Amino acid sequence: MKNVVAAQPQVRIDSEGDIVLVRRTVREAATRLGVGITDVTRIVTAASELARNVFHYAGTGVMRWRMLEANNSIGIELTFEDQGPGIPDLDQAMKEGFTTSGGLGLGLPGAKRLMDEMEIESRVGEGTTVIVRKWRKRS
Amino acid sequence: MADERVSVIKVRDMLMVTMPADPDDATVTALQEKVLDAMGRHQAKGLVLDISAVDTLDSFFARTVAETTHMVALMGGRTVIAGMQPSVAITATQLGLTLGRVLTALDVDRALGMLGNARDGRSR
Repeated sequence: MKNVVAAQPQVRIDSEGDIVLVRRTVREAATRLGVGITDVTRIVTAASELARNVFHYAGTGVMRWRMLEANNSIGIELTFEDQGPGIPDLDQAMKEGFTTSGGLGLGLPGAKRLMDEMEIESRVGEGTTVIVRKWRKRS
Repeated sequence: MADERVSVIKVRDMLMVTMPADPDDATVTALQEKVLDAMGRHQAKGLVLDISAVDTLDSFFARTVAETTHMVALMGGRTVIAGMQPSVAITATQLGLTLGRVLTALDVDRALGMLGNARDGRSR
């Protein structure tokens, strides 16, 4: 197999239009992972929610992605990083319907359901990093 | 201009909009304004929103669709969402999206039929 674990390409999120750019980039990457159309849609939709969170709460940030290899699986990892206000209460932010932006409050809990793994690190006044992963069993 | 990507066309006394595969937020927002403007101008009885090309329905898009449906209803019209792809339906449900009490159809043909029948039903 060709070097699956590659350097991490990134997309800057500075405007609403960049959310589309994130979706396109992630769609290409997820398609390369070799998962079916439904999983591609899950990954792209989760990326769209997380990119929108970056734009709405922090204004600017970055999305990085890379392919992963572990045991019998290959996967994709997306990292969303911003230097925004941070999330004061993570438990609350993970609750369905909780929002401080007037949105639906589905972003974080929804993205978690669509992906296999999610990690959030956030410090008030410093920023937020959200990492999500989706795995595909190697056949 | 983003909103040039979406056009609202009139079919008999109904409006039809075909959404592009991956619309940005500005396009989605422009859709709402265009539809409501056309509802008033054409005195349309209903709206068919064709999303068969759409491959990502996130919460912002879904909220705008639900809002538009409600606004069209306030203007006396009915909205049918047509052609949602299976992968989009699965993802939207897992994401937790509800479109409210919106009417849906497998394709545009059936959607037009639903609105047509409703109109006939009223006039009987």
